[in-house]
Amino acid sequence: MPKAERTPFSLPVLLIIPALLGALLLTGCSPPEPPALRQATLLPSPKPVADFQLTDQAGRPFNLDQLKGRWTLAFFGYTHCPDVCPTSMAMLAQVQRQLEQDPNVAQLPQVVFFSVDPERDTPELLASFVPYFHDSFIGVTGDPNEILKLTRQLGIIYGKTGGSGADDYLVDHSAAIILFDPAGSFHALFNVPHKPELIASDFLAIRDYYEATQ
Amino acid sequence: MKRVMLALALAASSWMAAAQPDIHIENAWVREAPPTARMLAAYLTLKNPGDQDRVLVKVQSPAFSHIMLHKSEVVDGVARMVHLDEIAIPAGGSVQLEPGGLHLMMPAPEVRLSAGDRVPLVLIFADGNRIEVQADVRKKP
Repeated sequence: MPKAERTPFSLPVLLIIPALLGALLLTGCSPPEPPALRQATLLPSPKPVADFQLTDQAGRPFNLDQLKGRWTLAFFGYTHCPDVCPTSMAMLAQVQRQLEQDPNVAQLPQVVFFSVDPERDTPELLASFVPYFHDSFIGVTGDPNEILKLTRQLGIIYGKTGGSGADDYLVDHSAAIILFDPAGSFHALFNVPHKPELIASDFLAIRDYYEATQ
Repeated sequence: MKRVMLALALAASSWMAAAQPDIHIENAWVREAPPTARMLAAYLTLKNPGDQDRVLVKVQSPAFSHIMLHKSEVVDGVARMVHLDEIAIPAGGSVQLEPGGLHLMMPAPEVRLSAGDRVPLVLIFADGNRIEVQADVRKKP
């Protein structure tokens, strides 16, 4: 009677081993899942920004280089605005304070207020406006054409309205907060209504995903 | 005769008050602003316990040259302010003036207002009623 040939493993086990190996390889090599976001809208791919020449509240140049090397949260408003802009700036200060207390944050994002009313918003005016909300905040203004050069790339719109005199007008402006990544690219945006805790957690999720996929 | 007139007047005024209870004003505050801010915003809640709609038409204050009724709104992602002639408070309802919505807007006074200060606001209604409240200046996150 011929001896039956016996394999050391049964057939199902033989099938499972390569499947497991394959799964291991796949999870090891494929990028992590994109983050589930609650407030932010991520661009399908980060959009590089063309250079612009503006000035910060201390009179120093502020251009594309200043958006590189760290994350930036940007808001576009004007200092004569008594309701929406102070509310948004105070909300961004809450985001910043929350991130300051987070042990997973080695480098805080910079928060930049870009004026969409450069005729009235001088660097001197910004110097007393932005630090009021947080001493790390940066205010940027400058040539109206240079502001347009930047805002057009971001879908930020604004325009003068109302008022009775040359110095007495309101400015309608996009309410979104823009997130630039450390390459200086337009990476995501936060639409209203803004919730500081959601902006902070979404920012961290976006940052972690970005760092894991670089 | 004078006494009778007085009694009648008192009775009439208390009857009027019963028919038209006063609007309640709650949580009136002015947002403390950066030192160079030219415009300020104030907020409050109006409650109308009566059975008739009431209409706020004007707000005055010795602390401000003028006060405007305003509304911030975001339409298609764009924030804008709209000037209002009046704010209606429905019978039995309430209206909240709050950041990012209805608010009072006024030029900042020469002497800066800081958290802890109080300023009077006189609210004037379409029926001629006037209500004075004290608004706290607050620094709000």
